[in-house]
Amino acid sequence: MIERTIHVDYIARVEGEGALKVRIRGDTVEDLELKIWEPPRFFEAFLRGRSYREAPDITARICGICPVAYQMSACHAMEHALGMRVHGELRTLRRLLYCGEWIESHALHIYLLHAPDFLGYPDALRLAKEHPEAVKKGLELKKIGNELMQVLGGREIHPVNVRVGGFYRVPTVNELAAIRPALERAMGLAEETVRFASGLSFPNIEEDYEFVSLRHEHEYPMNEGEVVSNRGVKIPMSEFEDVFEETHAPYSNALQSVHKGAGSYLVGPLARYALNHDKLLPRARSIAREVGLEDVVRNPYRSVIVRGVEIVQAVEESLKIIDAYRPPDEPYVEPPASFHASTGAAITEAPRGMLYHRYRLNEEGLIQEAKIVAPTSQNQKRIEDDVRHLVSASLSLDDTALTDACEKAIRNHDPCISCATHFLKLDIERT
Amino acid sequence: MHEEAMVRDLVRKIEEVARREGSPRVTRVRLWVGALSHLTAGGLRDRWSLATERTPAEGSALDLTVSTDPNHPRSTEIVLESVDLAAPGGTV
Repeated sequence: MIERTIHVDYIARVEGEGALKVRIRGDTVEDLELKIWEPPRFFEAFLRGRSYREAPDITARICGICPVAYQMSACHAMEHALGMRVHGELRTLRRLLYCGEWIESHALHIYLLHAPDFLGYPDALRLAKEHPEAVKKGLELKKIGNELMQVLGGREIHPVNVRVGGFYRVPTVNELAAIRPALERAMGLAEETVRFASGLSFPNIEEDYEFVSLRHEHEYPMNEGEVVSNRGVKIPMSEFEDVFEETHAPYSNALQSVHKGAGSYLVGPLARYALNHDKLLPRARSIAREVGLEDVVRNPYRSVIVRGVEIVQAVEESLKIIDAYRPPDEPYVEPPASFHASTGAAITEAPRGMLYHRYRLNEEGLIQEAKIVAPTSQNQKRIEDDVRHLVSASLSLDDTALTDACEKAIRNHDPCISCATHFLKLDIERT
Repeated sequence: MHEEAMVRDLVRKIEEVARREGSPRVTRVRLWVGALSHLTAGGLRDRWSLATERTPAEGSALDLTVSTDPNHPRSTEIVLESVDLAAPGGTV
């Protein structure tokens, strides 16, 4: 055979994945480690030296599912540093943009990632074959969420229209009115989603969570509020690092957060709902009541219902905002022309939970230090606790069944390694 | 999922090389796997046969050099070093 060798120097892109290592001795779980191998991306390091104006667009690239969360936390942190406040319609439009992200992210998780777990399918493709209507509903909801992001953000993924102080361009009344019919349809789909989710079968498990979320005096929290917990935390967001800290587990590339002196805690829909259910809008509250959803949900599997209620909330809020919309005179509040060295911090509620940003700026408005604490790293330790309890109670399962159960327990919290955890590698060592 | 995408990306590149060289078949592929690349030799091999099915690289030998040096400048990467091709019109 005639052969020749062609020399190539091509690098394949490397992506992350998660793995769970469990060491069991007899009937005791001795060790459990959720490893996240997502390669470190050094965003905090390469933000240094960049202008404060660039942070919303740079950090948005951290996530394709929740870029708005990164933009919102970055903008609010910068505005805190610069001593600015964004009020009125601009503040409301930010909420509307965030609603779009909540709708698309929650719909994706409920129908494409979580539902297959409850209905006994390995993935959404197999689910779609036998329950095409369910998957269609999910995709339609996701699309409507994406449309909102498109109108306000300029595009669906990694929007480009957000800036410190507001937006580059604000929509006209007609542009927003044009998506109203789709949102009306989304309201029906969202309510059906809650009914669908509440009809699923759930394992009878309750966890003793410390729930942590924002809480706002007048509204279900998104961009503003205090940090509160069901165990007495009540602090301004700028004091987040006094109470919570990130630690590095040697087995994982993701940092883990703990409540100092207290341990793991949970952020995300279960926490937001437990601490803010009284702030839901009427239809969201009514559907929660209709399906008998308790005010505090401690069963992590039932988070699928809470996500559904939050979609109703986001759609209801979007309709309310669109109906009352009057375009602001200017698309943004002008940041100050001169700076002094300052630090700003902010938390907003990403679909998966609180997202903390802190920036230190110099007198030229250049970033000297950046700190970003994502919801998945805050939940990572708590997810380990959930899985540890599950494994302890399920030692009689064979390794395949145990792996499956662990994957589901992890997916309850919609970690931002969701796609990777579908390929969770479980390493069980039994002695 | 990500590994799958990565291996398919490599196979696409290999197909492109074979097409450019006018070769009907790939006989051997050499990959260099960085110590911090988050991809194991086993994981790569598992996916290789599936990803190359019905491509010119189907049945090709896969040579892996797995680096253990985390300080290597390419330690987080997977490098496609070379591709052996059956010559156009050659006896296979």
